[in-house]
Amino acid sequence: MRKRSFGNTVIAGVTVVALCTGAWLLRSGAETHAPPQPSAAQAHSRTGGTGGRAGVPALPPSPPDRVRIPAIGVDAPLMGLALTRSGSLDVPPAGRKNLAGWYEAGTTPGETGTAIVAGHVDNAEGPAVFYDLGALRKDSAIEVDRRDGSVAVFTVDAVEVYGAKDFPDEKVYGAASRPELRVITCGGGYSRSTGYRGNVVVFAHLTGNR
Amino acid sequence: MRPTARLLTGSALVVAAGLVCAPAYAGDSDGLEIFPSSAVPGGQVTVNTAACGDGGTAQGDASAVGADSFTLAPSTHEGDAIGQFRVPSSAQPGTYEIAATCAEGGRRVTGDLVVTLTSQRQPVHPRGSVKTGVGGALGPDPVQTAAGVAALAVAAAGGTWLLHRRARGDGI
Repeated sequence: MRKRSFGNTVIAGVTVVALCTGAWLLRSGAETHAPPQPSAAQAHSRTGGTGGRAGVPALPPSPPDRVRIPAIGVDAPLMGLALTRSGSLDVPPAGRKNLAGWYEAGTTPGETGTAIVAGHVDNAEGPAVFYDLGALRKDSAIEVDRRDGSVAVFTVDAVEVYGAKDFPDEKVYGAASRPELRVITCGGGYSRSTGYRGNVVVFAHLTGNR
Repeated sequence: MRPTARLLTGSALVVAAGLVCAPAYAGDSDGLEIFPSSAVPGGQVTVNTAACGDGGTAQGDASAVGADSFTLAPSTHEGDAIGQFRVPSSAQPGTYEIAATCAEGGRRVTGDLVVTLTSQRQPVHPRGSVKTGVGGALGPDPVQTAAGVAALAVAAAGGTWLLHRRARGDGI
C-alpha cells in the first residue's frame, strides 16, 4: 500500500499548505492597505543645491495631454483643473480611477515655471491613479505628452509629504526660474473623521524632450 | 513641387501628432480651441478642433494676426485635428479671429486669440493641500479575503478526506 500512503502524504501536505495560506490571506486581507509614503531619503537634501541631472532649455507653451511615470506604472490622461472657491486646486472627478489633472491657468509642463499635476490616491472603490506616488524615488523619470506632439521628460528631485495644516504653498506652487513640475496626491496619514492628513508632493525638473 | 512639399509637411505633422495621446476631455466643443488664448508677439499658439471628424485635416488661417497659414493634422485623440502657428513679432495688441476649414466638407470653425504686449499669464497660484483621496484603498481587500476563504475550503476538504481514510483504517 505504498502508493496509497504516498497519496495520503500528498493530501496531508496540500491540506497543511492550504490551511497556512488561507490563514495568512485572511489575516493580511483584513489589514488596511495604506498607500506607500516616501522615506526621509527622498526628501530635498538639506545641503541645498539643485543636484541631479542637468536641466535643458524650456519648451514653448503647449497644453499636456498625458502623464507617464514608468517607475510606478502610471500612464494616464490629463484633464484641465481650475481652482476651488477657497483657492485650492480642484481635483479630477473621483469616479475615474485612471485620470489625472493639471492646473490649466498655470504653467504648461515643459515651459519655464512651475507646472502642477494632481490626481487621486484612491476613491471609494480602492486605489486610484497616484496610489504609488509615495513610492517614487529621486532620479525617476516623469514624461508628459504635449499637444504640440513633443514629450517633456522630467527627473524627480524629491518626494515630500506635507500636512494640510502648514502646507508650504510657496515651495510647492511658487514660481521657478527653470521648467519644473509638481505631482501631487493625498497622503501623510489618514483619520476617519478628516480623511488624509496632507499631500505627497513630487518635485521634478525638465531634463529632456523628444 | 508645391503639392509634394505640402504632402511631405503633412506627413511629418501626422507623425508628430501621432505622439499626442488622448486628452481626458473628449472634444468638449465643436469650435476651435486655442492655447494659450492670450499670447504675446512672437509666441507660439496651438489650436485644435474636433469639428473635422475622425482623421480629418484642416487648413488653419491666422492671417488676421498676420501669421502664415498652417495645417491641422489628425491626432490619435478622437477626431481632434491639431496645428500650430507663431504670432508675428510685429503683431499689434488686440483680439483676432483664428479660423480652420476642414479639408473634407469645408466646415469652418473659429476661435479668438488675444494678443497682448506683456504676458498676461501671471497665474494665481493654488493655495493649500489638495483633496485627492477618500481612504477607499484602506479597507480590507475583498480579493485576498476570497482567496483566503477558498484556500481554507481546500484545507477543510483535505482534512475531511484524511479523517475519513483514517476512520476506515486505511492507514496514515
